[in-house]
Amino acid sequence: MIRFTNCRQGFMAALVAVVFTCHGWAQEASIVIEDKVAGLVPIHISGYTGEVDQTLKFDLEVAGFVLVAPDKARYTLTGKNGTQVEGTLADSARRAVLARSYPGGTPRAQAHSLSDDVVQAVTGRPGIARTKLAFKHETGKRNQHNEMVSEIFVADYDGANAFQLTQDGTVSRSPAWQPGHRTLFYTSFRPGRPCIFSHDLATGARSPISNFNGMNDGAAISPDGTKIAMVLSKGGSPDIWVGNVDGSGLRQLTSTREAESSPTWSPDSRTLCFSSSEGGGTRLQLISASGGSMRPLNIGGLRGATEPDWSPDGKWIAFTRMGGGKNFEIYRVDAAGGVAEQIGEGEDPSWAPNSRTLAVIRRQGNVRKLSLLDAFTKQPKDVRTISGSCGQPSWAK
Amino acid sequence: MQYSMKRLLQVGLLGLLAALAMSSAGCKTRPKNVTALPGSEARAGGTDLPAGKPLPSGGNTGNGFAGTSPGARPYNPNNTGPGVDLPPATDGIDKPIGNTPLPAGGFGEGRTEDRETLKANVVYFEYDKSAVKKSEQIKVAAVAEYLKSHPDALLTVEGNCDERGTEGYNLALGERRALAVREALLNLGVPAASVSTVSFGEARPADPAQTDAAYAKNRRAEFVLLPANAAAVR
Repeated sequence: MIRFTNCRQGFMAALVAVVFTCHGWAQEASIVIEDKVAGLVPIHISGYTGEVDQTLKFDLEVAGFVLVAPDKARYTLTGKNGTQVEGTLADSARRAVLARSYPGGTPRAQAHSLSDDVVQAVTGRPGIARTKLAFKHETGKRNQHNEMVSEIFVADYDGANAFQLTQDGTVSRSPAWQPGHRTLFYTSFRPGRPCIFSHDLATGARSPISNFNGMNDGAAISPDGTKIAMVLSKGGSPDIWVGNVDGSGLRQLTSTREAESSPTWSPDSRTLCFSSSEGGGTRLQLISASGGSMRPLNIGGLRGATEPDWSPDGKWIAFTRMGGGKNFEIYRVDAAGGVAEQIGEGEDPSWAPNSRTLAVIRRQGNVRKLSLLDAFTKQPKDVRTISGSCGQPSWAK
Repeated sequence: MQYSMKRLLQVGLLGLLAALAMSSAGCKTRPKNVTALPGSEARAGGTDLPAGKPLPSGGNTGNGFAGTSPGARPYNPNNTGPGVDLPPATDGIDKPIGNTPLPAGGFGEGRTEDRETLKANVVYFEYDKSAVKKSEQIKVAAVAEYLKSHPDALLTVEGNCDERGTEGYNLALGERRALAVREALLNLGVPAASVSTVSFGEARPADPAQTDAAYAKNRRAEFVLLPANAAAVR
């Protein structure tokens, strides 16, 4: 049960408990809110070296842990790495919560497996250390058409094992996974103008999906894997269109005079959320994927909302707020509408499968860095393994 | 000697463009029919999905492009053009425009891009706006006259943004700018089938500096001519 040690903590605990209980996360809340460091779970890690040590620490910091001295720790993780990674997780009463060894695979993979088990043991939910991200990557070079060359990459969620998927030497952008498949959709200018392709990662085969005049961008595949939402301007304005995942059976969902962008699906594949400039400013709108009219999502009166992303558990919509200028803020709002809460800085949020972590882009001078943001604790963790500028992360689900 | 010849040519070109622009200044903007938005409707409720699974292990392989043969683009010289700082004009902002569908089917395939002929007519925009300002309409008029006197030519309008917007938003804003210029061309009598659009968002800055002057140069629409017969141009 929840124990309160002081008044301020008690208030915070009560507040958080109400919020989390509403969403059926009471068990997790009882763990998170007992911590004294702004919801972070204090852990001490010892016995590991090199890549395994770094990997474990990165994974657990992303998952909402904070590394502390042994006497401050709620949990201690001790073990070693060599031919295999071994780990014992104990709570503050020195009861072993987990004791496991990880043979086979690379040391990095072994470390990811251990941290996923630690996250599962502490939070009751699966870890994300073995998931993958797709993103756009700019080398900073321009091609003969004066375009900033960008290519699509796929990497481990921490940026390791990055693989360059496209080699088009032009603008490639807006990667989106087909849920449940190892297939990416993205826009490439390879044909001389923007075209949406699907790209099967297993075979390397890619097929044109949308190749109309004007804009073909913002592909988003429904969670059931069968439908594609896109932004097309063939009707004379950037509008939301929906079709089968192969591009057939297209249907125009919006027909405003202003621009729509960044469609995202509800987990039941029945509703879309997107950003629209209709009516001045930008706001988030909802529409049934089978047609009808759009209706605004209540985000508590915030202006400049773009780039919505619907969490896989259906509870949240994360979005970017443009406050004017180059600095952007990440918010999340209940998918049913309400007061939006700022959870960090950055743009283009993409939810992890755990509906808790977000991949975002943070601009630092001329460079755009991939960063992982924990929506619960608001703790950001920059991915440092990738040089150059990244953009438009899409978390594989 | 060389300099004065060049100068003479420049003056002559400017005069020609001005004359073309003035000849079309009498055209009036057509009001467009606007489809009213229907009323609101209930949204389908969300349901929980099972927890996400990590991808199967194994290398991501293959870069093949089965099923498509995207052709390489013909080479064209760079055109960053000398940009100009704009006065903070407020004319023509947010003028509503209608939606005229883009041409269907292939557009200008096999034609060579000509970025030179109309390069003096780059249209600049206000921050976060897609309306064609009055100060820029003379350029659009010059392009319209050129197209009307070259009915076989096709045109792609390229929309660009400064970096002060999210990527997702800027892609749509760049397209909106290109479409606004297209609409202005159509209002001046250019056939809808002759003009298509493309948005580069913030991917093709004319000036990569992070200054207001650079941003003003980057908020632009450029004209790429697709002449019917590349050899006949220039």
